[in-house]
Amino acid sequence: MKILVCIKQVPQKDAPLKLNESGTWIREDVSYEVNEPDAYALEEALRQKEKHGGEVVVITAGPARSQQVLREALAKGADRAIHLEDDKFVQLDSTNTARAIAAAVAEENFDLIVTGLQSDDFGAAQTGVLLAEILGLPHATIIIGIEKTDSGLHLKRELEAGHYQYVDLPTPAVLTIQSGINKLRYASLIGIKQAKNKPLRKVAWAEVEPKLSKNLQQIERLYVPVKQKKTEMIDGPAAEVARKVTEYLKNTARVI
Amino acid sequence: MITFRKPIEDIDRPQMEADVVIIGGGPAGMACALRLSQLIDEHNAHHPDSQLSKDNIYVLEKAREVGQHCLSGALLDPRSMRELLPGFESEAPIDAEVTKESVYFLSKDKARKFPIVPPPLRDHGNYVISINKFVKWLSEKVEAAGITVFTGFAGSELLFEDDSRDADTARVTGVRTDDKGVDKQGQPKANFEPGYDLRAKITILAEGTRGNCAKQLTERLELEDFYHAQTYGVGIKELWEIPAGRVAKGEVIYTLGYPLTTKEYGGAWIYGISDTLVSVGYVTGLDYEDPRTDPHHVFQDFKEHPFARHLLEGGKMIRYGAKTLPYGGWLTMPRISGNGWMILGDSASFLNSQRLKGIHLAIKSGMLAAETAFDALLSGDNSADTLSEYKAAVDKSWIKDELFPVRNFHQAFEHGLYDGMIKAGLQQLMHGSNLGPDSKNEAGYLRMKHADALSPYGDGRHHFLYNAKGDGKLTFDRLTDVYHSGTRHEDDQPVHLVIKDLDICNNRCVKEFGNPCQYFCPAAVYEIVETSETHSGKQLHINFANCVHCKTCDIMDPYQIVNWVPPEGGGGPNYDGM
Repeated sequence: MKILVCIKQVPQKDAPLKLNESGTWIREDVSYEVNEPDAYALEEALRQKEKHGGEVVVITAGPARSQQVLREALAKGADRAIHLEDDKFVQLDSTNTARAIAAAVAEENFDLIVTGLQSDDFGAAQTGVLLAEILGLPHATIIIGIEKTDSGLHLKRELEAGHYQYVDLPTPAVLTIQSGINKLRYASLIGIKQAKNKPLRKVAWAEVEPKLSKNLQQIERLYVPVKQKKTEMIDGPAAEVARKVTEYLKNTARVI
Repeated sequence: MITFRKPIEDIDRPQMEADVVIIGGGPAGMACALRLSQLIDEHNAHHPDSQLSKDNIYVLEKAREVGQHCLSGALLDPRSMRELLPGFESEAPIDAEVTKESVYFLSKDKARKFPIVPPPLRDHGNYVISINKFVKWLSEKVEAAGITVFTGFAGSELLFEDDSRDADTARVTGVRTDDKGVDKQGQPKANFEPGYDLRAKITILAEGTRGNCAKQLTERLELEDFYHAQTYGVGIKELWEIPAGRVAKGEVIYTLGYPLTTKEYGGAWIYGISDTLVSVGYVTGLDYEDPRTDPHHVFQDFKEHPFARHLLEGGKMIRYGAKTLPYGGWLTMPRISGNGWMILGDSASFLNSQRLKGIHLAIKSGMLAAETAFDALLSGDNSADTLSEYKAAVDKSWIKDELFPVRNFHQAFEHGLYDGMIKAGLQQLMHGSNLGPDSKNEAGYLRMKHADALSPYGDGRHHFLYNAKGDGKLTFDRLTDVYHSGTRHEDDQPVHLVIKDLDICNNRCVKEFGNPCQYFCPAAVYEIVETSETHSGKQLHINFANCVHCKTCDIMDPYQIVNWVPPEGGGGPNYDGM
């Protein structure tokens, strides 16, 4: 199987976030890491390759710093990488990101494209699905199990409240992967060293720009929620107070 | 039942050959790597037929990213950086040049300014930096030069050629990296990745303060002299955003005195990073006598002093960190090289405690070690004899010019602040000499007193004994602070604070010292819980995931039964921006 893994670099979970001057995103002076569900997508791709043979290619869009996530993926066993390298890629919405990725891999024929189900920073959960639409491929989301069959893929999806759904898709297909589908491997020293010599193709902004349009979504304002505490006194006879409290918990707070 | 971390036994470990392995990617290690690369480039340019390769030169860094375990005030004396990278100021991340400095003596509620700033504390020409950003920048240079930095990999133990314990004959043959994917019972998990045995011609220890490999080496080869034992302090630091106009960008303030009594060694620093961002911290000497002393509480106490309160009140604490630093200076420097090994930076006592600065010395020591390593690579001889060039170079360099005259400085304070100030003053006049022979210096933990030898009133120390509760605005409890250190560890792994004999903790220490670990740890790792399982009714509980890798426990534990070893690589604090 020839597999493409789309990976995003996001701020580290414990990074101290501060808003930028214009209040539209965070200040970028933080450390970054691989988006968690994307790490699981990569692991799943590597396991499929180990079982069925083939090739794993990783792709990301972002500034120079995001090359780090490709290096990590190569160190863990991916065969080659594609870097859509430009600061401007950070500002793209999901549709344009998907278009950029589609344009960068237009010449290649993947049997499978996987990515995390959403990013830890924006959390839009759209890029994977939009990429499938643009490429005209079937897709399935929130995948927690992949099995290759004669006709394609047998997949397990995670639904709400402990329910699962099983679906079968033909390949090629796009899947968005849920964290926890597998157990992540560690990069080894020899893997890190070898990664230095693996092919990494850079794609410039200008190469994909013709395929992009104006962003359909943008962040107007980002702000830190203000903590507030409100106390309401309920007076009256005990039975009456109890009734009101129960009502409040049931209908307003909706905790019972 | 606590399972402690140790390398998994009876497995085939992957091996990797190396020319040079540098353990620790701090200022010393990075400067060493960069200097080595410069020398190789130079050589290769002039010797097209005998090219040296950088492919097998590695830096190991236990943090997830370079710089995340680096903590300092920080002030940089630019001397060594100007030698390493002339004109570095134009591209290095520097927050401010020091423009103004002052020293205050604090009494309980007053602050008296010293009429003149003592010469060693004059900082004009130095830079206020974030050591985290600075080291990150250095590492980019190192990687661009073609040297591989393995982040998220710790040096868990040194490898030796044989059982020799003689510093002249023993040979270090490399280092083993940490085992990854070991569960809390010490069993390999499904994704177990064994640590590598990196077989190196030259192993360079640049782990910083109280490095675990440096400790292993020091103990095995008896590198440290009992009467010149290393002494340490623990620095507690917070980064604060404050209203403009209180501290100038590039302003430096030091304080002595309160909240410590004259019996303890220590003081505060305040560095203006910008008009609204300030680095504030407190160093407490790890040679105090009252086992109930909590250095984190000392710092909280300092912030409540009107002098600090005026500065910080209404501001916001944004980051926290803690780290020890070696105080001993020139006289406590161990042997720094042998067969196949050299030690740099804080691990080898390259810190000027009089000037409260070590980064420039760490960098210089790294550069000198690189020059020796280069000669050894060229000649193919990594014997103790060849590597002793490093010490000779240190002796000939300005490191000795700077450290030798202040060799007795910290030691002067062993009988308290007033005695120390008089002695230090005399030393200043006498170019570093005492009125007698050089001072001796025993390990700080030896000065800790038994609980029953203490005054129940705390000798004027009651305000910093036991853990701080914090008001949540100006002062904080340890857990709130640890949260602001960004510390993260894999939960399912063995405890990396390896205690040789828990029975001492649970029974003997309870009575003798009252478990000082629960007070000296600035990250609330050690907790004493009630139990029916021990005679004393108390039991030590270790919250290892809080550990900020400061090494205080390893240093200050009065029985010396705590051995700090690296947890799974990548774990630890995140000192971004610190």
